[in-house]
Amino acid sequence: MVPVSSYMLLAAGMFSMGLYGVLTRKNVLGILLSVELMANAVNVNLVAIGRSLGDGRGEAFALFAIALTVAEVVVGLAIVIFLHRSRRSIDVDQAASMHG
Amino acid sequence: MHLLTLIVLAPFIAAMVIIALPDRARAATRLVAITGAGVSLAGAIATILQYDLARGGLQMQKVVPLVPSLGISYAVAVDGWSLSLLLLTGIILFAGCWASWTVKDRDRDFYVLLLVLSAGVFGVFVSLDMFVFFLFYEIAVLPMYLLIGIWGSTKKVEIQGPLAPFLKRLDIGGREYAAMKLTLMLLMGSAFILVGILALYMAGGGKTFNMELLRGNMVMSRDTQLWVFPALWVGFGTLAGLFPFHTWSPDGHAAAPTAVSMLHAGVLMKLGAFGVIRVGMVMLPEGAQAWALVVGIVASINVVYGAFSAMSQKDLKYIIAYSSVSHMGVVMLGAATLTVSGWNGAVFQMFAHGIMTGAFFALVGLIYEKSHTRDVASMGGFAKFMPGISVVFTLGCLSSLGLPGTAGFVAEFLVFLGAYKSAHGWWMLPGILGAFITAIYVLKATRQIFWGPFPEGRFEHLEDARGTEWVAISMLAVCLVLFGFWPNLALTGVDKATVEYLSRVVGTSVAAAGPALVP
Amino acid sequence: MKSQALLLLVVVLPALCAGVTGLIPYVRRRGMLAGTLSSLTVLATLVMSLVLLGRANGGEKVIVNVQWMPEAGKTLAEFGLRLDGISAPMLVVVSLVAAMVQIYSLSYLHEEPSESLGRYFTWHSLFVFSMQALVVSTNLMQLFGAWELVGLCSYLLIGYWWAKPSAGKAAVKAFWVNKFGDAAFLIAIILFHAQYKTWDIDALENQVRVTPPGALVVLLLFMGVMSKSAQFPLHVWLPDAMEGPTPVSALLHAATMVAAGVYLLVRFFPVFAANADALTVIMYIGIFTALFAALTATVQTDVKKVLAYSTCSQLGYMVAAVGAGGKLAAYFHLTTHAFFKALLFLAAGSIIHGVHSNELPAMGGLWKKMKLTTVLFGIGVLAIAGIPGFSGFFSKDLVLEQLEHHTVVWVVGLLTAGLTAYYMGKAFVLAFAGEARSDGAAHAHESGLLMTGPMVLLAVLAVVAGFFANPFARLTHLAEPGFHLTTTGILALVLALGGLGAAWLFHGPRAKDPAAVPGFLAPVDALVKAGLVDRFYEWSYRVVMLGLAKIIGWVDRYLVDGVMNLFGWVALEGGAALRVVQTGRAPDYVFAVVVGLVALMAWGYVGG
Repeated sequence: MVPVSSYMLLAAGMFSMGLYGVLTRKNVLGILLSVELMANAVNVNLVAIGRSLGDGRGEAFALFAIALTVAEVVVGLAIVIFLHRSRRSIDVDQAASMHG
Repeated sequence: MHLLTLIVLAPFIAAMVIIALPDRARAATRLVAITGAGVSLAGAIATILQYDLARGGLQMQKVVPLVPSLGISYAVAVDGWSLSLLLLTGIILFAGCWASWTVKDRDRDFYVLLLVLSAGVFGVFVSLDMFVFFLFYEIAVLPMYLLIGIWGSTKKVEIQGPLAPFLKRLDIGGREYAAMKLTLMLLMGSAFILVGILALYMAGGGKTFNMELLRGNMVMSRDTQLWVFPALWVGFGTLAGLFPFHTWSPDGHAAAPTAVSMLHAGVLMKLGAFGVIRVGMVMLPEGAQAWALVVGIVASINVVYGAFSAMSQKDLKYIIAYSSVSHMGVVMLGAATLTVSGWNGAVFQMFAHGIMTGAFFALVGLIYEKSHTRDVASMGGFAKFMPGISVVFTLGCLSSLGLPGTAGFVAEFLVFLGAYKSAHGWWMLPGILGAFITAIYVLKATRQIFWGPFPEGRFEHLEDARGTEWVAISMLAVCLVLFGFWPNLALTGVDKATVEYLSRVVGTSVAAAGPALVP
Repeated sequence: MKSQALLLLVVVLPALCAGVTGLIPYVRRRGMLAGTLSSLTVLATLVMSLVLLGRANGGEKVIVNVQWMPEAGKTLAEFGLRLDGISAPMLVVVSLVAAMVQIYSLSYLHEEPSESLGRYFTWHSLFVFSMQALVVSTNLMQLFGAWELVGLCSYLLIGYWWAKPSAGKAAVKAFWVNKFGDAAFLIAIILFHAQYKTWDIDALENQVRVTPPGALVVLLLFMGVMSKSAQFPLHVWLPDAMEGPTPVSALLHAATMVAAGVYLLVRFFPVFAANADALTVIMYIGIFTALFAALTATVQTDVKKVLAYSTCSQLGYMVAAVGAGGKLAAYFHLTTHAFFKALLFLAAGSIIHGVHSNELPAMGGLWKKMKLTTVLFGIGVLAIAGIPGFSGFFSKDLVLEQLEHHTVVWVVGLLTAGLTAYYMGKAFVLAFAGEARSDGAAHAHESGLLMTGPMVLLAVLAVVAGFFANPFARLTHLAEPGFHLTTTGILALVLALGGLGAAWLFHGPRAKDPAAVPGFLAPVDALVKAGLVDRFYEWSYRVVMLGLAKIIGWVDRYLVDGVMNLFGWVALEGGAALRVVQTGRAPDYVFAVVVGLVALMAWGYVGG
């Protein structure tokens, strides 16, 4: 049986990769993908820890989170499409009109 | 339906109906608004008729629990004070709806906000529950921001004075500036009020917000009262134009559209004074007595300072706005006297000043609409083309300077009498001085605007009020004279409530000994 | 009809008339209709007043009160009607002079625009209402209310020609000065209530006997009188008030409104008499005004100004008489003065109507053109000069007799009598004798019946009123009657004849330059031209009042409001300083979140 720490390491790696992506990517789609990576890292943790504790709630929670992520992706993609329509670009640096 | 609830809800329902109306329904919008205001006015009159003057006290009480665990309930009732103030609000709102007839830009939104605001005002005057009271208070204050910011007028002013280098960025004179200033200053006041109300609530053991219930089980030490009272005084006082927190008033009133100025100076400022007396003084007798001297001195400053400031103004709306600051000082002076005459005068002055300043702002709106200027110095001889307006304006001036036969006299006289009979008799002098200065500046303004030769060629198409424009000003003019000659219409009820509340504040009964004379 | 109802009608009818002529556009736009309506109303009032006078003479006394303002469940102020020997004659005087003046106005102002006339008569009716309400007052408070309302009517009527800047200034000045005096009056009222808990005439009379009021209170009350009855130094508004139409000057600024102050003194005489010191001050102010105004009148060239200062002077007589304790003398002089001064003003109006000028030097020789007016004006002059047989002789003699015990005051009073005869005689000879000195005077014409009729009636009264001194005294219960010729009377007569003689000598047709100021009056002329009193008021308004307003206005806008704005500025600047943090780039915000998260975790690890 794979120890739970391995899962947690995997999740930490996925999270760090996602975070790196969010911070460095200029392409909104890329950022969106990175966010997905971070979200799924959390899901991996939930499932793994739930399993090791013998508690089904972790898996249930993960399922719930996946469903929510779908909704989030839909909204995110909608924003991307809208951004593309209005600016002909999905470069995140150019979408900085909210600056103070 | 419960009459008081009807009065509060009628403008609100009218507002909802207007939202549902199609965009271009100009006439229908006005009709609905006027109907809503009319229902409230009729309700106010019906309340006065139903109120049992002989019995006095709180009547038509209705309590609906809202959050029982916190002791919040919708509790409304009327006493002799709220009778007059309901009537005042009804009259001003009704007149204001007529005076807004010519609003063209986004008129639906305008009427909706105006009506919602009035619902809040009605609510404050009848609420017994301080939580709901505060809620209504905020409903009454906040729409002002939009009403002034969207429909207001902008007037560029030159920034001078020692602080000028700092203030260049402020866009002083702009309507957004005025709206923001008004809202921020009043919200600062609200913060103080909230603190005060919560202190009262906690002193009652956190069981109820109802002022009548609270009175029975409230325990508050003198020391606590000493800091809670000033919080309520400054908080409510800001709305009543308390010096030095009055500066939102000239800018706000000058920038606001006609009906908004009418409601704001005519009714909203009274919310502040009403709050100081009804919540501050009546609920905190020891605090009120300890602070009476300070309240009176600041009020005296208000009266004289406001009058002199008004005298130095050149813009007609600023003159009227500063005169409001001065007259609200009379209200606060009356409150500070802690005498029957003084309190009667204070409440009657709220009424009289409301009607008078409502008339003034309606008139200024008309004059501005026709002449496109508010600069008094550039006017002259307007009586030639606007005889009707000039007569009503003069009447307003006469009430303002306290001429017998107008409502203003009754109010000011009672306050001065109370001031002399109070613990600080000299308070009478600033009051009378203020009235004299008022005579100087209002007559000066009247002469400059309406008398003298007409400057040919400078004004085109000047004309008297016509059609619907007459409704608001003639209504208010009639009220000024009616209540001047027959003050008992309102004063009998006011006196009843005064005796009851003042007895609580001074600790002994102030009712006159011997059999009461039936009017 | 019952007296109560009559009394109520006398007060309310003019108010209703004002409502009809003022509020119904159909009537207001037809000036003559409004005028007729108004005149008929005031005639009806006159008839009712006469009936009431008869009843009061029969000893009837009516007092009705209704509550006006409550205090703590009881009555604070009342509104009432009072008929007695003091109010009844004043009711008649007011309605009589008002009726004559209104009828006269119908003709005098017939060239005015119809609309303006409607306004004119509305104010007139309003005035009659206010004045009658003042006369029938049962208490000080109501009297004050009506007192200010007549002041309002005065303001409105002086400003009748509002397009004229001088009329506007005069009207506003009249209001301000009156308001100043009324402020003192108001303080007095409040002090009275604080001390006696009542304003009722009878109750006050009873109470002041027990505890007399302080001199300050009485003098504050008297300040109200000073402003309304144009006593020095609050007289400045009266000469300017001549900017109004002449009939207005006759009714308000000669016969009735300005006499309200004297009426108050008579009505509340026990209150004033309760403080002897105050009464003495009142006497000195009165007699000084009499002399001062008479001297000023001698060098005026405008016929209306002459009459205005003469009114001031005569009011000074009345006030001085009250100060010396002669309430009957004052009241009787008030009555006769109302008749002959109204007559003089209306006659002056007739001259002005004919000559189209107010200036005496521009007149002359009018005797040939306006015979009736000459006779009527002459009667007025003889009455005011105090020639036996005319009413002024009797009333002025009563006044001077009262002053006998105060030698200085008495001498000044006699001197003023001589001066009065001189300046009135001067006005008469300048206007009517000699040759015409201008085109206007050469083409003058007699006025119509509507104007001469009222004047004739007033002239008759100006002659015969004097013979009613004894019935008047009985009616008013003010003092024991008893008219007898004394040294004072003879001295006054001699001085009056001397004054008239001097007028003929210096200004008659034989004089070298009739209009010139004689040498012995040159210092007076210089002083009057310097206008010190007026300049003092001008200074206190322009420098003190406007100066203070400027200073306070500046402080408010730039200091008080400046500090408020400073808070706004601090918020704005603070925001501006912090805004650089907001780049608007999403990754920057994520980075901030991560840094924050790491910091929190580190803090938890280290500190936890």
